[in-house]
Amino acid sequence: MSGTIELRDLAFAFRTRNGEPLQALEGVDLTVPGGAIVALIGPNGSGKSTLLRVIAGLLDPGRGEVLLDGTSVTGPDPRIGLVFQEPRLLPWRTAADNITYPLELAGWPRERRERRLRDLLDLTGLDAAAAAARPAELSGGQQQRTAIARSLALQPEVLLLDEPFSALDALTRERFDLELLSLWERTAPTIVLVTHAIPEAIVVADRVVVLTPRPGRVAADITVDLPRPRSLASMDEAAVSRTARLIRTHLGEESGGAGEESRPRLVVAS
Amino acid sequence: MSVRTALPVVAALVVFVVAWQLAVVIGGLQPSILPPPLLVAERFVRAFAEGTIQPHLATTLQEIAVGLTVGAVLGLFAGYVMARSPLAERLLSPYIVAAQAIPILALAPLLAIWFGPGLLGKVVICALIVFFPVAVSTMVGIRSTDPRLLELGRSLRATPRQRLWTIEVPAALPSILGGLRVGVTLSVIGAIVGEWAGASRGLGVLINLARGSLFDIPLMFATLLTIALVGVALYLAVVLVERRLVGAR
Repeated sequence: MSGTIELRDLAFAFRTRNGEPLQALEGVDLTVPGGAIVALIGPNGSGKSTLLRVIAGLLDPGRGEVLLDGTSVTGPDPRIGLVFQEPRLLPWRTAADNITYPLELAGWPRERRERRLRDLLDLTGLDAAAAAARPAELSGGQQQRTAIARSLALQPEVLLLDEPFSALDALTRERFDLELLSLWERTAPTIVLVTHAIPEAIVVADRVVVLTPRPGRVAADITVDLPRPRSLASMDEAAVSRTARLIRTHLGEESGGAGEESRPRLVVAS
Repeated sequence: MSVRTALPVVAALVVFVVAWQLAVVIGGLQPSILPPPLLVAERFVRAFAEGTIQPHLATTLQEIAVGLTVGAVLGLFAGYVMARSPLAERLLSPYIVAAQAIPILALAPLLAIWFGPGLLGKVVICALIVFFPVAVSTMVGIRSTDPRLLELGRSLRATPRQRLWTIEVPAALPSILGGLRVGVTLSVIGAIVGEWAGASRGLGVLINLARGSLFDIPLMFATLLTIALVGVALYLAVVLVERRLVGAR
């Protein structure tokens, strides 16, 4: 299946204001098979977003390479769709014109753009009124739907999402996670989702990749053992809490039995 | 404009005219110092009826149209170059600021000598004075483009030309139009100053004539009124364009 991403010994360093390099990623090896969903999770500053930008070809890795179906990604690539943390819509365009913006840049004729727009609106559940509105007139959810429709416009093989639902309220967020899954079932791209929410990672992904604090590298690659199709009811299964605990262990939020035992002692000391 | 929004505007105009009339009456001012509003209005209408103002107005409008266009286009271009290249800004801005800091009144006679008493001299003066606000507002506008939108453009492989027309120009438009608001009013001043420095026709010339050889102070005020109306009309035109292009965001 196409859409296979391979990361080989990827390293990336930012240059700080005083010229010192700041190592954000160090030796990341990861393979995401075509059509798989992988969630990237990690503490703040673990380079999750940086890793996503390197895969998207927006940042040039200092070392190592990104392969998409065996060919090296050296810059922004039409086979890759990107959804940012905020909707990032052009405020002077209607939602419809934002969705077809990538097609316009790629030189599609108007008629073909219109046809593709109808499919995309259908796919993301946006109605004609929303399509005709400007971003400022849309709800946060509709704005992010627009952004997702835009990222799918060129029918990418890979969809990269950078904490796409973090600005939405918890209930909307749950619904969007499930809608992302149904979108995936219909379009079947490879998905890499950066998130800081463990439940979101579990309900969406086949595998949860935990990154270490800076410099980021793969701390754990945890398979989520939940059947598909998934629903909110899937979240009640025992496998979920088991997986969540495993992820927490690797995130360092819970250091197992020893941590639990040390807590009462702290209470006594205070 | 609805009655509701027009009412305060009309009221303000009435207050202005009444205050003017009171100043004339209370101050006991001669029409040769400050003619009353009605006299000016009457002279304004008569001047147009007799065709006194029209040829001068046409000349001035022509100077403004050409000067404004040249100044604005050069300003847009220079502003964009300075926004994109810090080196260009460092090299150009001292000269641009210096040119702006020298009073145009002092420069006008020199420019009239260089470029002659015809259209060209006025266009140069007009363009010079319009250039600065447009260049600065364009530079500031382009620079303030949300870098996240630029990253979006990059991720979609926008060419430099596409980036300019679909992201940078729309993002800079409110700022550019703000500069243009200042620019159009300055362009009127530029044309009049240019005419004072040497011309045979134009509203600036008519002011000099009315004040001097004709000694027709009401005509001078009627000319001033015409100049003010030209400025207001141009300003409103920019505001209308702004509302169409930016208002719906």
